[in-house]
Amino acid sequence: MATGDTALWLHNKLGSTDDLWSGKTICAQLSQQKLQSIHQCFHALQPHVKVKLMLSFLHIHRRNVEQWRMDMEEILLMAIHDSDQWVSMVGEILRPFPSTGSLNLDLIDNNATFTEILADLNKVVKKAASVRMLPMECQFLNKTAFTAVAGTQPAPVKHFALKRKPKSAILRAELLQKSSEVASNKKNN
Amino acid sequence: VKLISDAGYQGEITSVSTACHQIEVFSRVLRTSITSLLEGGEEAVKKNLPEFTKMVCHGEHTYLYSQVLMHILANEPRGGSNIRRLCQELQNGAKDRGLDVTPITLALSGAAAYPRACSALSSMLSRHALNPADISILFNMYSEMNPPPVDLIRVPAFLDLLIEALFRPTSRINPEHKAKYVYVLAYAASVVETYKKGVRKNIDRGELKPTTQALERVQVLCAENKSSSELIADVSTLFLNIKFPVIAFGVLKWVDYTVTDTSYFKLNTDHTPLHLVLIDEIVTNHHLLHLKALELLVKLFESQFEELDVLVRLELKKTVLDRMVHLFSRGFVLPVVTYVKNCVDKPDTDISLVRHFVTEILDIIAPPYTPEFVHLFLPLIENKAITGSIRTDDGSDPVSEFIGNIQGLRDCQN
Repeated sequence: MATGDTALWLHNKLGSTDDLWSGKTICAQLSQQKLQSIHQCFHALQPHVKVKLMLSFLHIHRRNVEQWRMDMEEILLMAIHDSDQWVSMVGEILRPFPSTGSLNLDLIDNNATFTEILADLNKVVKKAASVRMLPMECQFLNKTAFTAVAGTQPAPVKHFALKRKPKSAILRAELLQKSSEVASNKKNN
Repeated sequence: VKLISDAGYQGEITSVSTACHQIEVFSRVLRTSITSLLEGGEEAVKKNLPEFTKMVCHGEHTYLYSQVLMHILANEPRGGSNIRRLCQELQNGAKDRGLDVTPITLALSGAAAYPRACSALSSMLSRHALNPADISILFNMYSEMNPPPVDLIRVPAFLDLLIEALFRPTSRINPEHKAKYVYVLAYAASVVETYKKGVRKNIDRGELKPTTQALERVQVLCAENKSSSELIADVSTLFLNIKFPVIAFGVLKWVDYTVTDTSYFKLNTDHTPLHLVLIDEIVTNHHLLHLKALELLVKLFESQFEELDVLVRLELKKTVLDRMVHLFSRGFVLPVVTYVKNCVDKPDTDISLVRHFVTEILDIIAPPYTPEFVHLFLPLIENKAITGSIRTDDGSDPVSEFIGNIQGLRDCQN
């Protein structure tokens, strides 16, 4: 496919600014040849098309990513030097993806705003440590595993003293009684 | 917009697409949002999460950028777990919008170092469905001497799928593979890893066997589709094994499916059906499941039960309120009282039910009370429609007693 055709194809597929999640729609049509052709016309694409194209890499089957690694890396390298900040940031984040499958978390030296925001939020995170919103998986964990993940939890606030147990206590006792009767009847029969 | 942002007025930038256009502006708005969510805790999250999700999910690039930033923050030993929770809330929010964020979730989780596990998880998470082949891969990998990190399978969405497969009454797992589902879930729930300088030093599987066995026992009971009267003999088994959080989570799900079936209360004539007592037992043992229990009770309380006789319906709602009283007595105080208080403002609430709740509460509580509790509960107490008929002229009733007890607290506030 000629370079111009590739650019037009990408524009048709990813040009809409209404849906900014459409990157994955081109995965099935990507090939090594296509990536090489994209490399040729990358500089001429609109910033949001560049961004969506790179994000499509995340949805490509690992086996293909390994085969097309070099071509993807070349596109990402061009993106990193792009004048649009979103394009260069997404390129930077995805830089290790073709070779390792992971994302770049070492972004501090590359972007002043990112560095500033991260430093500010780091302080906020430490300051708000006492808020204690637990990660969702904590609900599933046995006590030992829970303590290893979340540490010891503070005792809950006592809003009143309990002068007697609620009626649920009687119900529980009755149910257990009934249960043991039924169980022993079953055994005897 | 950049000028407004530069001047520090992030709160003024309300249009999502405007904020997302430039990375600098987006970053600052993100900073403002995360700060207010962290400072406000659970309540702020509940209130502001939809708007936050909308902004972050504006595009796949804004989602990627936000998750990367938050993933770095989540690694902070002090307070990082709060951010981890926000990351998960965003993942769920994105999933609810039908967006496929699994590749980003997995790329951030370090799963890439274990390509086979990663591909198995990826296929199940993207399709929101488990399958025996992928579960077998995980089962084999986690049965080896040097398994992948447990964190890889501690993904809430994956654990939810396992619970659904094992505890949803209509779910059918191939019996040949069921033990593998149970094992993977028990592994995620029980194994403790010790790390030193980022290197795994020890894997403690001490609780894996008892957790697996308990899960198997309870899962079989739940899957047999027995009626309450048939289950009676198994109550002590259920009570005993419910002490494992993962089992309590599963049983609560099973109870949810069972009691929200329209025929359940029609066929059940016991005053308090067994399944509702199981909710009490879960509440007693697991603070972290209090919210889930309340959500289920609210769902029941608000059900129409049109097939039931009016009086039976009223009794049933009282029974549900008694479960809320139990939840209240086990420490989930403010959410329960807030819910009942809000019911008073709804036009279709039978005031005798609120009176029942207030009476039961007054029956079990004694001072000292916290100001937050008094502030919430007092409007119910002072509402004549609710408490007028249970007060006596000589002031020896529980309502007057409560008001007498809090007089000191009120004087202090004035």
